Amino acid sequence: MKFLAIETATPGASVALVEDATTLAAASRIDRLGHATFLVPAIDFCFHQVGWSPSDLEAVVVDVGPGLYTGIRVGLATAQGLAAAFGIPVVPAVSVDALALEARTGHRTIWTVVDVRRGEFAIARYRPVPGGVVRDSSTELVKPEVLRAQIEARPGQSLVVGDVAQLPEGLLSGLHRAKMAKPRYPYAVALAEVGRGRYERDLYPAPDDVRPLYLREPDVTINWAKIRQEGPWGSG
Amino acid sequence: MNPTVLAFETSCDETAVAVVRGTEALSNVLSSQVDLHARFGGVVPEVAARAHVESIRSLTHQALNEAGVHPADLDGIAATVGPGLVGALLVGHSFAKATAWARQLPFVGIDHMEGHLMAPRLQFDDFAPPAIALLASGGHSQIVHVRDWGDYEVLGHTIDDAAGEAFDKLARVMGLGFPGGPAMDAASDGGDPAAVAFPRALPDRPFHFSFSGLKTSVVTYINKAQKSGDLPPLADVAASIQEAIVDVLVNKTFKAVDETGARVVGGGGGVLANRRLRHRFAEEADKRGVQVALPDPVLCTDNAAMIGVAGAHWLSHGRISDWAENVDPGLALT
Ligand SMILES: [Zn+2]
Repeated sequence: MKFLAIETATPGASVALVEDATTLAAASRIDRLGHATFLVPAIDFCFHQVGWSPSDLEAVVVDVGPGLYTGIRVGLATAQGLAAAFGIPVVPAVSVDALALEARTGHRTIWTVVDVRRGEFAIARYRPVPGGVVRDSSTELVKPEVLRAQIEARPGQSLVVGDVAQLPEGLLSGLHRAKMAKPRYPYAVALAEVGRGRYERDLYPAPDDVRPLYLREPDVTINWAKIRQEGPWGSG
Repeated sequence: MNPTVLAFETSCDETAVAVVRGTEALSNVLSSQVDLHARFGGVVPEVAARAHVESIRSLTHQALNEAGVHPADLDGIAATVGPGLVGALLVGHSFAKATAWARQLPFVGIDHMEGHLMAPRLQFDDFAPPAIALLASGGHSQIVHVRDWGDYEVLGHTIDDAAGEAFDKLARVMGLGFPGGPAMDAASDGGDPAAVAFPRALPDRPFHFSFSGLKTSVVTYINKAQKSGDLPPLADVAASIQEAIVDVLVNKTFKAVDETGARVVGGGGGVLANRRLRHRFAEEADKRGVQVALPDPVLCTDNAAMIGVAGAHWLSHGRISDWAENVDPGLALT
């Protein structure tokens, strides 16, 4: 199976071409605002490296979040555009899963952290299993203190990965069972592995139903003064 | 050469996809978000971007199906590159670039305003430079001298509110809801445009507009009329407000026609769908014996066919965008 993985849900953008379980080419760049300029040239570069033509693709795996909304949409729109050109599936994968898979260790509980700004972080918890990890929680948006409380309440050793650099300084101080580690951003190679698992088990929706994982409603308030329907002649 | 182009427009609150062959629209579909934004009293960028990414794929299929065109029949792909809302632009532009790359087709990013300038070509075979065009919507108001395709001289623009913005604000004052342009047009039905003489702001420079003063005078007028208990019928006030905006737009546009000697006058943007404005355009053009090239309202408001006709034009002139092209939210005609 030949597929492309697209990762643009965080400041780190990357793409990977994968055949079965083998990564044939990958490219990455860290630039929060540059995903749209990076993506297609990087895909083009990888295809040239490997010698594939676009029509060889069987599926596109894409990170649907949680993460930066604009980055997620650039990635998803690109994936949808590629997939629509040949009628191939779009397989959504989530950023926290890709982080955990890349960080897999022998025994520690893994906590993945994605900065979604405005003081909140998307987090998820994973349990190590031979060769991988299993998600033990849903993905939720929390304040940093909540993350600390959850780790504290959990017995055993923990590994905290993802955008830990954005967490408040000293958040985990005194918590000796927990250790921070890399990777900071999810990477297309790990995302591809998450996506391949879902693809092989037919665990993906129809293309039109692939949606970003926002975890938050748009930040807008209804401006009643602006939409007031009442005028001098009565309600409009 | 009449290239067949798949075109995308997502600069604001319409997700639009079209297939254009040369200057002929084979399909022109869109998913309007008007209802989505109406409850907020204006376009919310994050809401717009979310809606674009949800509908662009199915709209693309619809546009190709309606045109009876298979992706293999396409000669190129075009998308709006700016100006507009960055998050909204990125959805259509990214989708378009990816589709073009996948099919190994040339891709070209199109200036939204140039799309409006070229839209008349979809319906008027002889719409060609030199021409004058009025571009007026909620986001822009300018008079453009089209000296040649790609050679545009902006003769004048608004110094405060865009014309569509003025309609929105005034419709709000009147209690007519959002968006204001169509609401004011409807409310003016049967009204007397000469009922109330609202002022026409005329800034020093002959082709510039100003609409912010009009709101103040309308508010003052309504307050006074309410107090004295002789509020004229809604239709008369709406028609008079509409006339004050239309008058300025039309007079300045035709002043530009007179000064440049252009033989054809076109237009684009949602305000050009206004019935009174279209009527006045025809009248003024008749007086001068110049041709009016105002496309149907659906081609005046934001649409992808206009991006397609501009895309077909530039692709047949060999212009191709780089895969690294980014959107440009602040793009301006030069
Ligand atoms: Zn427009």
